[in-house]
Amino acid sequence: MGKRDVQICFRFPSGTLEMEPPPNGVVRTPLNSVVVQRRSKSKSYRLSYRSCLGAASRLGFTPALTARRLNTSRRAPRSRNISEKVNSEQLALLLKTEWRLSYVTPLFKFRHTQLKSYSRQLSAFIAAEKQQGLAVDVEGSQSGFRVSFSVVQGMTETDDDAETVLIQIHTNPLFARQDEPQRSVWSGLLTCINGNTDYLHSLPKDFICLPLFGCSGSEVLTTLVKSWFQQAFDCSFGPLEISHTSLQWLVALWTNCHSESGIQQLKMIWTLPVVPPLQITYTVNPQDAWELWSSVRRDPQEENEGGEAGTSIDIKEVMRFVQGLKGHFYRHFRLDLSSGSLKQVSTALGSAKYNGRIKISNSRYMITTLTLLTECALLKMPI
Amino acid sequence: MAAKKNLLGPTDSDSSSVSDQSASNRSVNRSLRVAEKERRKNEAEDPLVLALKYFSDVEAGTPVVGNDEFENNLVLVERAAYSKGLSSEAVAVMLEFAMSLRMGTSPCVRVLKCLIPSTVVPQEAVVRAVVWLGVGKIPISTQVLFIKWVLTVFDMIDAKDQLRSIYGFIFSFVTEENLCPFICHLLYLLTRKESVRVFRVRKLLELQSKLGRQPFLLHLLSLYKVFCPELVTLSVPSRMRSGFRNHNSPWKSALIAVQKRNGSQVASSSSLPFTIKDMSSSRKRKHGHLELPVLSSLVNKQAQTESFSRKLVPLVQLHSFTQLLENMHRIELPAQMGSLLGSSLALQYLDCVQDESALLRLNFWLGYALHEEFLFCGDGRASQNSEEALQFLDKLLSTQHFLQEAFSSSEAFLYKFLSVWDGSLLRPQILSLLSHIPVVPSAQIGRLLFEPLMQLFFTSSLFFKCGLIECLNNMLLKWLTWHSVYALEDDLDISLNSHTSINMTLSGFKDSVMELVHFVGRLASVGLQLEGCHSLLLSFILDFYETVCDTFLRYGLPLVVMPPPAVFYPVLFSPDPVSVDRLAYIMYRYKVNLTSAKSQEKVTEQAFHISRQTFREFNNYVVVMVNCLWNSKMFHPGMGVQLGEELLLKSNVPQYWTSFDLVNHPAFLSYAVDFHQRCWPGRKDVDLNSIKHSKPWSWYLEYLYSQGYDGLKQFVPAP
Repeated sequence: MGKRDVQICFRFPSGTLEMEPPPNGVVRTPLNSVVVQRRSKSKSYRLSYRSCLGAASRLGFTPALTARRLNTSRRAPRSRNISEKVNSEQLALLLKTEWRLSYVTPLFKFRHTQLKSYSRQLSAFIAAEKQQGLAVDVEGSQSGFRVSFSVVQGMTETDDDAETVLIQIHTNPLFARQDEPQRSVWSGLLTCINGNTDYLHSLPKDFICLPLFGCSGSEVLTTLVKSWFQQAFDCSFGPLEISHTSLQWLVALWTNCHSESGIQQLKMIWTLPVVPPLQITYTVNPQDAWELWSSVRRDPQEENEGGEAGTSIDIKEVMRFVQGLKGHFYRHFRLDLSSGSLKQVSTALGSAKYNGRIKISNSRYMITTLTLLTECALLKMPI
Repeated sequence: MAAKKNLLGPTDSDSSSVSDQSASNRSVNRSLRVAEKERRKNEAEDPLVLALKYFSDVEAGTPVVGNDEFENNLVLVERAAYSKGLSSEAVAVMLEFAMSLRMGTSPCVRVLKCLIPSTVVPQEAVVRAVVWLGVGKIPISTQVLFIKWVLTVFDMIDAKDQLRSIYGFIFSFVTEENLCPFICHLLYLLTRKESVRVFRVRKLLELQSKLGRQPFLLHLLSLYKVFCPELVTLSVPSRMRSGFRNHNSPWKSALIAVQKRNGSQVASSSSLPFTIKDMSSSRKRKHGHLELPVLSSLVNKQAQTESFSRKLVPLVQLHSFTQLLENMHRIELPAQMGSLLGSSLALQYLDCVQDESALLRLNFWLGYALHEEFLFCGDGRASQNSEEALQFLDKLLSTQHFLQEAFSSSEAFLYKFLSVWDGSLLRPQILSLLSHIPVVPSAQIGRLLFEPLMQLFFTSSLFFKCGLIECLNNMLLKWLTWHSVYALEDDLDISLNSHTSINMTLSGFKDSVMELVHFVGRLASVGLQLEGCHSLLLSFILDFYETVCDTFLRYGLPLVVMPPPAVFYPVLFSPDPVSVDRLAYIMYRYKVNLTSAKSQEKVTEQAFHISRQTFREFNNYVVVMVNCLWNSKMFHPGMGVQLGEELLLKSNVPQYWTSFDLVNHPAFLSYAVDFHQRCWPGRKDVDLNSIKHSKPWSWYLEYLYSQGYDGLKQFVPAP
């Protein structure tokens, strides 16, 4: 492979993030990895033969072949107090924001140790782009935008997950007084929670996979941030919708939490393909939803034999639950929701929309939701 | 007049300088002169050149009204301008004509409006035109139009030095109220530090006090302030509307259209441009998945630079293959690997380096682009951008062709795309992409390839069927070629040496090939029935079997698969002599392959075992063919095709056993008749049976072979 053995370790076990930049000898690996050499025949044999089916290549994980799809069963959301582990300021930001989601292909040579430098570079990039068309910097030295990258520690679930990265952009208000603090105008989130281990392992060390990207703030800045990432880490961004099935999962997962923290109400928006299009807002009393959910759950007794009680939820249960909700609606309004699709779900724990907007309101169940979304994002990976 | 000489000068001086050098190299010179003459001759006949000549030579004061010659020539120039743009000489001629007001002011506007340069605008022409402004006979509105034109084509002016040297002259126009905004813009583009002078600053401030704080004045002043802060004390507001107003001039759209047209022509004429095309001209898209990233060097490299003693050369800086070779050891890959797709130079490097991360980056980007464009789009967006999609796929194809292997991401994409493809969207491109995919293990080949392809095949038109068979033939050829290269190297033992980590053994490879051949056999059998043995389809199927019959000798793959009867018999009875001949050739090649395999089997143990079934099938086909074509023993008992005796009698065909021999076979009947006439020119009644006597028969065979039916000749060699 012509690759030197020295590699930077960028998958930090949580807590070791304050690592010093590695000494020079180590840093110079990446460029050295391109060692020009005569292509030996045996090598080209291997590479030519590397189809996406070749056992050797990571591409053996091609979705078309392994039929990667959403897990059919997932752990029930455990109430996890991540507020103890995660910085409260960061957590507050994560919770108060409605994120617009995208998927990102793995980042090439992204390093958690370089975040300071990335902040500088992205600030400069934004300043430069903003001034395009102006031949001179008429505003003077203060470029207006300050970018900060930071790591959200304590979010990872497995050792393979890369640490979550938070990006914030601040600016001076237009008519600012001297002492006025900078205002946050944009924030972004790159994360990977419980990412598929096989997939993550199949990536070479140079890549870091943070497939889920959420952002909130002006569209212009989003575009700028994305294009900087594309240039800096050779990655691509695509929109991530939250599919009908994923939304149904969220309905069930959130309802499942009701006993621990009230969901207040279960509100769903369905659309039916009729002319003119029909949008139905369907709100369920939390207690009713909970009882329906409990009734479709597998017999806990039976489950006990398998393992811990109530730890896993199966897609069949989700479908039964949704079917129950649909059936109820049909009895009252003679309208079968099966022909339509679920566009939006909201409870006190959060809200999710089909067009890829999500707001997570309760930190205790954040991990479960992000796990589901990470899975959706990984499903969109081209290879 | 002097100007005219200058403008038309170049050709004369060129040829004279050529003749000056002639002493040194006569032969080269002669060919140059011949070419030059040829070019001139062509030009002399080109109406556009004549039209331009008219405008450069026309006498001052020639009337415009009722002047047909003028009208015709101007229309010619206009048409050329809007379609291809004008060459730099043409721009110079027309600009000079317009600004000199040789035929008055009325044609001036019209000419200015059609001044769309195809490449560059010569600086001298612009300078001369500016000088004409000073003569002062041109109406103000036309002057404004001219300055707007200069602003529009500013980036296309080949040099700016002379324009800068008349900075003061241009500056003098700012006092003209209507011209001022445009002159300011032009000055803004031309200003250098040395052009900022106290008197100019004063003039602008004076104007400002007269006209108010106009943005164009402010912009120019702010630029002056940047160069010479000590001269401009005025405070410039921190936030200004950005830039000068974008004049929605009449040329913009025409210019873009011309550039785009020329650009696409360039792109299509050379499949892989040597350098990356500048992206600035490409129009903005709402969904830009298919846009290649610009080739640029790494953004964040400060971490690495200091530790590096040797200097790395970014790929962007290399422009030739020689440079690539010289810097091979210290090339830096670009920031975005997707940008390599457009550059053959970069691809050569990529092919040589075989860096896994680099390939993976390229694959991620490519896969992303393909998925977003064709799979995740949903609302029929793909068809809207089919032009771009087409170009993108063509580029991808030429890249894969260049590298002689497929990208794994395009392969993975195809497997998904096949199940949603309608079989017509971008058919040629998708089929060629498909033909590039590497060997698919036999366990998955059915689900990934055959199932979706079968559905498409049976529900699509004849042309799709032909296209698919051709595509599968190409796929097979690529697999076999791949095998022949590596099998030879590894002494037939590709059953995986230690250095490879693929779990494909020789037998695994054989299985895949066999699956593919059988699959095409099934498609061909049913396809021929569905399409009534259409000869076009038949021809593509025969192409495929021409590949199949030679797998052992040509590609060293020990595998012989016979065509199914549903392919063999329709070809044998085809009314088309070429098909029958090709079948004979294919059977001949099968024979050669089988005999050589058999002889090898005796010599080495390594050779493979061909099943008896294959020999039996082959022998059966040969017997049928010989009996049918040569021996007139059709429907002989014990042959592949059997019909009941009574049934044959009932058909009332006389001598039915002869009806498919070389004389009576529908494909050869016309030859038999022709031969009969030549052999016995006097005979009135045609008796084809007389050909079957031994002497005429051998003549007849000779005659057939002489008509180019070599397959038949090879199949049954002369005794």
